[in-house]
Amino acid sequence: MKFEGFPQDLTLKDGTQIVVKPLEAEDAPALLAFYRAVPEEDRLYLRDDVTKPEWLERFVARVNTGEVVSLVAEQGDAVVGEASLYRALHGWTAHVGEIRISVQPRLRRSGLGTALARDLVKVAVGLGVEKMIVQMVESQKSARRLFEKLGFRQEAVLRAHVKDIHGIKRDLLIASNDVSHLWEAMEALVSDFSPTVG
Amino acid sequence: MDKTEIRVGGLGGQGVILCGMIIGKAASIFDGKHATLIQAFGPEARGSACSAQVSVADEAIGYPYVKNPDVLIVMSPDAYTQFAPQIKPGGVLLYENELIKVDDRLPAGVKAFGIPATRLAEELGRRLVLNIVMTGFFTGVTGLVSSEAVEKAVKTSVPRGTEDLNLRAFRKGYEYGREVLVKAS
Repeated sequence: MKFEGFPQDLTLKDGTQIVVKPLEAEDAPALLAFYRAVPEEDRLYLRDDVTKPEWLERFVARVNTGEVVSLVAEQGDAVVGEASLYRALHGWTAHVGEIRISVQPRLRRSGLGTALARDLVKVAVGLGVEKMIVQMVESQKSARRLFEKLGFRQEAVLRAHVKDIHGIKRDLLIASNDVSHLWEAMEALVSDFSPTVG
Repeated sequence: MDKTEIRVGGLGGQGVILCGMIIGKAASIFDGKHATLIQAFGPEARGSACSAQVSVADEAIGYPYVKNPDVLIVMSPDAYTQFAPQIKPGGVLLYENELIKVDDRLPAGVKAFGIPATRLAEELGRRLVLNIVMTGFFTGVTGLVSSEAVEKAVKTSVPRGTEDLNLRAFRKGYEYGREVLVKAS
């Protein structure tokens, strides 16, 4: 699937040059290498075992069906960040998309996470997604700030829902961003109705 | 003076007026031509017949009303029934081919081109952008306004945040139009 504005050149706060683009089949090995390098503690936040080739195969298949939209951030040939939008193509939550973002530890606080999140939100709106959700552990304070800046607000807290690497149970926060008003504006624009013109 | 007259017809809620407005805006603001727009609404907010009359010319337009269009864009069967007989002989009909069946009411020499615009819009993610698919189809088939101008007009006419999907809808219709034209030649 092609999206407007990609590939996108990005200069991070420290001057690092990055290219952000939708995942293509040839990026898959670099994506696997990226996830294998993510510290084990951080990988606990992820829902899948992203170190296995089988995961990658399933992931790429879902990207091909459109169920997942994946943006990768590349520095040279290496993937240094990834943002995914998961959505149901059918059923009662087909209007909802879930966002997941991972950034290489050395590039955290560089603006890359924010850039990836902003781009993915834009892509999601373009796909007609009306509501976006993101799941975070209570301790992920910078991630919470990042998504708050993008209009996400805490919607639910699942108490003691996740266990960190030390076995400590932590709260899982679900934040959401309802962007349906954008499409309501479009709906009004195509209504072909004016109370003053007959 | 070379003037091209266009009528867009359909139902309230299909974005008929926006389609006409984008064509006029592209021609006048971004392609440097002159354009006029006349709009007609029914009394209901949804589902009533509505139409837009657009004139495009290289010089100022003195009379903006369109009686016999060179190009008719229709998105509903009622609009087709009402407006198809009025197309100028040798004119062009652009129609939503999963909603409208073309019959023998067309004047002589009218070239008819169909597009499943509603289905294409749904496949893109939003039925709402059907009118933008039709706008792209119009641009691809007629070449009356440049695709760059219409892209700019789309981008500056739709709500902020919805530009991406609307531009994809435009390109889908445009490419479909170009293909249909190649097949017909």
